[in-house]
Amino acid sequence: MIVGTVVCPHPPLLLRELTGGQDVAAELRKACTEALGALTALTPDVVVVVGGHDAPGEHAGGAVPVRGFGGTGERAPRERALPLSLGVARRLLDGAGYSGPVEMLTVAWDASAAETEAAGARIAGRSGRVGLLVMGDGGARRGLRAPGYLDERAFGFDEGIRRSLAAGDWTGLLGLDPGPAEELMVAGRAAFQVMGHAVAFSGTLVRPELLYADDPFGVMYFVATWLRGTG
Amino acid sequence: MLRLRGREYGADTALVMAIVNRTPDSFYDKGATWDDGPAFERVRRVVDEGADIVDIGGIKAAPGEEIGADEEKRRIVDFVAGVRAEFPDLVISVDTWRASVGRAVCEAGADLLNDAWGGYDPGLAEVAAEFGVGLVCTHTGGVTPRTRPHRVHYEDVVRDAVDRTVALAERAVSLGVDPASALIDPAHDFGKNTWHSLELTRRLGEMTSTGWPVLVSLSNKDFVGETLDLPVGERLTGTLAATAVCAWLGAQVYRVHEVVETRQVLDMVAAIRGVRPPARTVRGLA
Repeated sequence: MIVGTVVCPHPPLLLRELTGGQDVAAELRKACTEALGALTALTPDVVVVVGGHDAPGEHAGGAVPVRGFGGTGERAPRERALPLSLGVARRLLDGAGYSGPVEMLTVAWDASAAETEAAGARIAGRSGRVGLLVMGDGGARRGLRAPGYLDERAFGFDEGIRRSLAAGDWTGLLGLDPGPAEELMVAGRAAFQVMGHAVAFSGTLVRPELLYADDPFGVMYFVATWLRGTG
Repeated sequence: MLRLRGREYGADTALVMAIVNRTPDSFYDKGATWDDGPAFERVRRVVDEGADIVDIGGIKAAPGEEIGADEEKRRIVDFVAGVRAEFPDLVISVDTWRASVGRAVCEAGADLLNDAWGGYDPGLAEVAAEFGVGLVCTHTGGVTPRTRPHRVHYEDVVRDAVDRTVALAERAVSLGVDPASALIDPAHDFGKNTWHSLELTRRLGEMTSTGWPVLVSLSNKDFVGETLDLPVGERLTGTLAATAVCAWLGAQVYRVHEVVETRQVLDMVAAIRGVRPPARTVRGLA
């Protein structure tokens, strides 16, 4: 049973040591921490994390992949580092003070509908009280200085995601088109669809709340909670 | 570890020492801070720009009119007292080779004696010990103050600089100077030709590896001018290049005319070395 779902983004700059003297993502991290606080307050038996990656898989643990992106600290061997999406999740869970059981899985960036559905079904069918943490970003082509430059279509596409998350509309997430998502560098499409399927399979009503939706660096970030409730 | 005016600085903390001349004839500023008003303004400005230390001097290094101890004191002692009163926390260094002058400025509130002529007056180290202030131990090759190098040669200039400055530092400590407040300085251009100063820069790691904190004084000097064939006033870029190399090799204190530019170079090199985080990194991380 899924007791609650949280959506957080996974830009490297959420890892505090990567942005130098200034904490450029303080507001975003605060929203993430608040969302995770609401999730862990429901005392789940396990937090299941799902995030995008090059390939699907399960990750028992590993280091937050800081050194691959910068910093000056210890360099962890590549095989021991988590994928970025899961590494940011690990850090956010630590920041929220959660020390309970965690299961981590990745979904391929280009996962098919069948694949996201299968992953969602597995999560929904898991025994115990499950807190679901979905790691995913919106488009990265939202301005001349955005990582992917400007593509006007990004605004409409991201607005669709925003509305779905704000409304608890899992069908909206399932409707995200993989083609434009890839072109617009939407790093959360597959993970959002795993979420949509998981919530649909679990058949529970949710109380949706959007805590953050902004693009301070040309990439769209969302923070949302869908906690179990009466709708 | 470096300790000045009771504050401790780790080996990776670079300090900027701003030059404040109380002379009518120094080579770079040509008397700009000879009068009290401009001199205090210079101190206020360099503090505002982030200088950690001011280095006050009453006699230019180059040959010229002879300045006795009384005149040297007249130029700087009251000024040191005035700076101390206005800036209680500022580290004040005084550039002098004379023990009698050192004593007077320590009584006026100096924290560091910059013995730029390499122990010419052995009494200066004793004054440093007596007042519990720091001492900069420089390498001049044993020359008389205010003389120019003429046909100087060394079997190995870096070896000579290391041996002599370390010996001066060890002597100072034996007299009672805090080992964390004794610095060594290869003294670019002092008793050296341009080749010597370039080699000292290239091999500065041999000085920093002694473990004594290293001060370098590179600012707008002739070795930069000769290397780039540029007159005084056009040597900032070359000075900053030498600054970057010294920073890479671990020098800790930089005696300079230009504070802002030096600070930027030191911050940049510290970030490259990985001992100082960049100010704000977002590029590629969103």
